[in-house]
Amino acid sequence: MDPPIINEASFSAANPSSYSLAELWPFPISGAGTGNGDLGGLGLRMGSFGGFRGDATTVSVDESTVTEQSASHGASAGRKRKDFNSEDESSKPVSTSSANDLNNSCAKRMKESRAKEENGDSKVEGETSSETGKKANEQGKPEPPKDYIHVRARRGQATDSHSLAERARREKISERMKILQDLVPGCNKVIGKALVLDEIINYIQSLQRQVEFLSMKLEAVNSRMNPTIEGFHSKDLAAPTFDATGMIFSSQAPREYAQGTHPEWLHMQVGGSFDRAT
Amino acid sequence: MRSIKIKFAYRFLRSLNNLNRRRRITDGESITTRRRRYHMVKTAAYASMASAVGSKRAWSRALLSKIRNNRRNYKIRRESSSSSSSVVVKVKKPIIQNPSKAEELEKLVPGGETMDFCSLLDETAHYIKCLTSQVQIMRSIVQFYESSSSSNDQRY
Repeated sequence: MDPPIINEASFSAANPSSYSLAELWPFPISGAGTGNGDLGGLGLRMGSFGGFRGDATTVSVDESTVTEQSASHGASAGRKRKDFNSEDESSKPVSTSSANDLNNSCAKRMKESRAKEENGDSKVEGETSSETGKKANEQGKPEPPKDYIHVRARRGQATDSHSLAERARREKISERMKILQDLVPGCNKVIGKALVLDEIINYIQSLQRQVEFLSMKLEAVNSRMNPTIEGFHSKDLAAPTFDATGMIFSSQAPREYAQGTHPEWLHMQVGGSFDRAT
Repeated sequence: MRSIKIKFAYRFLRSLNNLNRRRRITDGESITTRRRRYHMVKTAAYASMASAVGSKRAWSRALLSKIRNNRRNYKIRRESSSSSSSVVVKVKKPIIQNPSKAEELEKLVPGGETMDFCSLLDETAHYIKCLTSQVQIMRSIVQFYESSSSSNDQRY
């Protein structure tokens, strides 16, 4: 039993996660760079595997430490690890010698590996695969991406990816609808998405109208009183009081306001009809 | 939300102050100037709200860019009375169950035309929160102005 075949076997053992390696290796590598730099870039690409970058950089710097780490990694692949160690000692000068050899051998990793040249990078692959393989073993299946929303199909529901995604989307929408219902007062009793939307639209419109009305009023008040009051220029005086009032008001205040001063607003609209006149 | 309120109050008062200072130069009580001033106050309120929220939210970003564009267009129109062509980016959207309501909501929430329905609802929630606090603060400002003006009237 020659060592390269054992390497291959360890890959296939950790096969579910080896797609990440396939993504990784076509990563463009500057030819003149040392193995250290390349692997650093590789670690950046990996991202999700925490601590891999550190491992990778130590691979090219100091091989023996890495083999120790990898030996501590996989309890399941312990025997294979041993074999790795024996290889790594022998391949130590080769893998650190040139980065180009490394890259070439990376590209052909699926083929039957040749002699010592390849041992360097196959060790790297073996390490990553053992790391991810360990993760996979813990969870029983390859780890999903982070922003993946987990949806389970109940009995009788469709399980193809489109309907799963659609179901996830619908759940998200209904969740946000619930948040909105809590925000808009008097919207909790309304049943039906269309009616809830109607209520939300009405509420936003009323709020925007209030802003318009208030700015109209502010304009009037501002123009009326600004020349007379000199002390109000200092924002320092004004700001704290507003902050205090803003804190005192409960969240129900605008709604009451909307109901309470609607006639007043109409009056304002009639009185200050400059908006429509022009 | 409290820090947003404070920021908004501060910015709005500052811009109101600026408006007042500018107004004194071209003082007039005709209908057009009052209307223009009202629009300026309204824009100041929205702009200070959006800038208080910052660029984290899509609606505030859209609102700020809209205000900026309006201002630029206004300047361009003033300078060389030529209409500026605006590039409208159309984004393909998924089909929504009740298009009329959703479209209405899209028009209300700034920047809503380019969102999908999920994020539209998300932004709507935040927008409602901000609008309510905006109304509260503006109302308290108006109250403050009125109370101080009435006390002033009594004094004089």
